[in-house]
Amino acid sequence: MVAVGVLAAACTRAPTTQKSTDLRAEVARLQRTSALLQRQIDLADEKEFYLVIDPAGSEVSLMLRGAQLQRYPVLGLQIGHPRVSWVGRHDPRPWQGTTWLNGKLDPPRQIDRLVIQAAPPGKDVAEPEPAVIPPTAEELYPVPTRYHIRFAGGLSLEIRPREADANAGRWARLWASWSAKWRDVASAVLARDRDAVRLRMAMNPKDAESLYRSLPPAVRLIVLAGRPDAPADSK
Amino acid sequence: MTLVTLLLAIAWAGTGYRYEPYVEAPPALSGDVPANDRSLKPLASRLARRTRDLNARLKATAPRGVYIVIDQTQNRLYLKRNDETLLQAVCSAGSGMVLKESGGKKREWVFDSPRGRFEVLSMLRNPVWRKPDWAFVEESQPIPKNPTERLDYGSLGEYALYFGNGYMIHGTLYERLLGRAVSHGCIRVGHDDLREVWAHANVGTPIFIY
Repeated sequence: MVAVGVLAAACTRAPTTQKSTDLRAEVARLQRTSALLQRQIDLADEKEFYLVIDPAGSEVSLMLRGAQLQRYPVLGLQIGHPRVSWVGRHDPRPWQGTTWLNGKLDPPRQIDRLVIQAAPPGKDVAEPEPAVIPPTAEELYPVPTRYHIRFAGGLSLEIRPREADANAGRWARLWASWSAKWRDVASAVLARDRDAVRLRMAMNPKDAESLYRSLPPAVRLIVLAGRPDAPADSK
Repeated sequence: MTLVTLLLAIAWAGTGYRYEPYVEAPPALSGDVPANDRSLKPLASRLARRTRDLNARLKATAPRGVYIVIDQTQNRLYLKRNDETLLQAVCSAGSGMVLKESGGKKREWVFDSPRGRFEVLSMLRNPVWRKPDWAFVEESQPIPKNPTERLDYGSLGEYALYFGNGYMIHGTLYERLLGRAVSHGCIRVGHDDLREVWAHANVGTPIFIY
């Protein structure tokens, strides 16, 4: 008799509890969404270029003043945390939805400026130099098979073209993975070089190359969460 | 010795970065959230309204109508309308060259295209180039005192879209060099593409150069 009573009470309470949990989840979602929207508005109000990573939409966009200048599809996204001797060194600070500043390419894009000292006016130039056709961007800026965009505060984007090593021989692939491992070991051990969190993005080789060649200096970054453009009405 | 080496090898293997597939963390409540459900409903409604407003504000930051995007490293120009790309053209942006004056004021010029957001300030048909000092210094010619000697007809092509500080989107006599960074900072576009840009742009059209 008592058991039946308890069961009946539980059955009447369960929907109320469920409703309350749903409402709390909805409030949390709306809080996150509005915070993200506010940060994107703040970024659009500034004069600096910024990247927006949308994991749900599998794309990264280069933006300025709210305008999408270029969009690059992301084929895969992984999160990397440092560890030393199997012990994780997790940074408890939130990285998603935070605005990251001063992103720089590593290795940096080399710019070799041609410096011309003009001859004084009226002075006869001995012989006009033959016209040289300047190189294209593809010839001028070789793109490493993997590269980073490092932000102040410890977030790093690691860009890996999909099938980057596919055309390389077995030994070349082995050497690339061996040297990457050593770089990661050094980075994880030395606190000065340690990335608090890494986002590893796999991209089409052409997109990865294009991003490397075109990335403006001191770019900012925000990583979205959820779907900010999802209908926000609560019933 | 072997044991030490083995331990070091194990430690080495467990050092570096551990990668996991991206999984989105569920949103967590933040700030002052009322404990009772009665007060939660108005909060949810307020947040929903705020989210709608912010969404509208964010959308308003994006350019409306036609705008021009220029990738100066890869020498590409995109003519866009909202989310649609109307034209993708090969162009020539600034060469990045540095020119140093030998005599006179020993001035120095860097031929970069500017980065940022600009607007079309004026549109010129059959533009005449008023050659700046560097154009004479580059050719080792004396800088003329008579302003009419600075005027150059035809080298800017059929149209020019001026966007400030001496920078323009204009035509070129050297179409074979399109796709290469050869200009003095202006954006050179081929004849047919320039006509298309001219047809869609207006004074006030935003230009984004990155």
